[in-house]
Amino acid sequence: MKDLPQTVFVVDDDDAVRDSLRMLLKSAGVHAEVCASAQDFLSSYDASQPGCMVLDVRMPGMSGLEMQHELNLRGVTMPVIFITGHGDIPMAVEAMQHGAFDFLQKPFRDQELLDRVQRALVRDTENRARLRHTDRIRERLASLSPREREVLDLVTQGKANKMVAGDLGVSQRTVEIHRAHVMQKMEAGSLAELVRMMMAVAPSP
Amino acid sequence: MLRAEMAGSNDNGNGIKGDREIQRVRTIIVAGQSSDRTREVLRALSGFTNVIWPTSLESTLAQAASQDAGCLVIADDLREEPIDEFLQEARELQRNLPIFVITDPDDVAEAVSAMRHGATAVIEIPPSYAALCEEVSRAMQ
Repeated sequence: MKDLPQTVFVVDDDDAVRDSLRMLLKSAGVHAEVCASAQDFLSSYDASQPGCMVLDVRMPGMSGLEMQHELNLRGVTMPVIFITGHGDIPMAVEAMQHGAFDFLQKPFRDQELLDRVQRALVRDTENRARLRHTDRIRERLASLSPREREVLDLVTQGKANKMVAGDLGVSQRTVEIHRAHVMQKMEAGSLAELVRMMMAVAPSP
Repeated sequence: MLRAEMAGSNDNGNGIKGDREIQRVRTIIVAGQSSDRTREVLRALSGFTNVIWPTSLESTLAQAASQDAGCLVIADDLREEPIDEFLQEARELQRNLPIFVITDPDDVAEAVSAMRHGATAVIEIPPSYAALCEEVSRAMQ
């Protein structure tokens, strides 16, 4: 699957800031779209659109931090760079705790913002690749029968076929057959690969 | 093996086997060069038992990696290593360890950098140590 071109979404209520950011990003060859409010952005956002966001912390209506909360609720994974004229540490810490990619205080040098935007775009590409990878694994997992899934869970815990057979009250031969199906359906070449797949989809602690 | 050694060194030498069964108080590990601020942090945390201030970064990391670690407080600059690198190292050792970094007030860039490198929270000092004690209490629950 080919990704759409990356876009930097700028959300800032200040016309002058929006314009200058658009110009700056354009001059760096980065495609940008600007919105005057969080509501504007949220009503038109398409999750398949890769890129990153540059968000003003303080805006009338929905603030940048509230918008971040909303994005998190919607499962939006785009990296968010906050910009603010009057930042303080508690605000920055809160934004970062909620997953902000960066938090930049005005005034900043153009290059400083561009560097962070570039890094955020790289991060988005990585995130999306990882997501596609785990989606594929989940699809394969969903194709297993309940018994195959049990066998998978036990063998990835490091149990030998004999122990699995004992746990499930079936013959070792049956476990071997299930196990072969699991490897085939999961497209795993080895037990180690299977374990890595399960780790990739395990809920993060 | 390493775990057992560290648990032993935590017990202040009375590494009786039965100790292991008693619910251990987890350690609050303080890192920071020998400075007024580090001493102030240690004083602020004096209400907690089991606060340790290892003498080297190496032993600080070993403590942070042990299962006895309750939280890590980076009180001040470190003598041997930039804070961010040290943070990252500690974070890699223990994904879930609460790590608090003390910074000067209004140094937003430093705070953001610390958060990016794995800090759980950054607390500015002054105004007060109350926020730190609150965070530490929560972490130790």
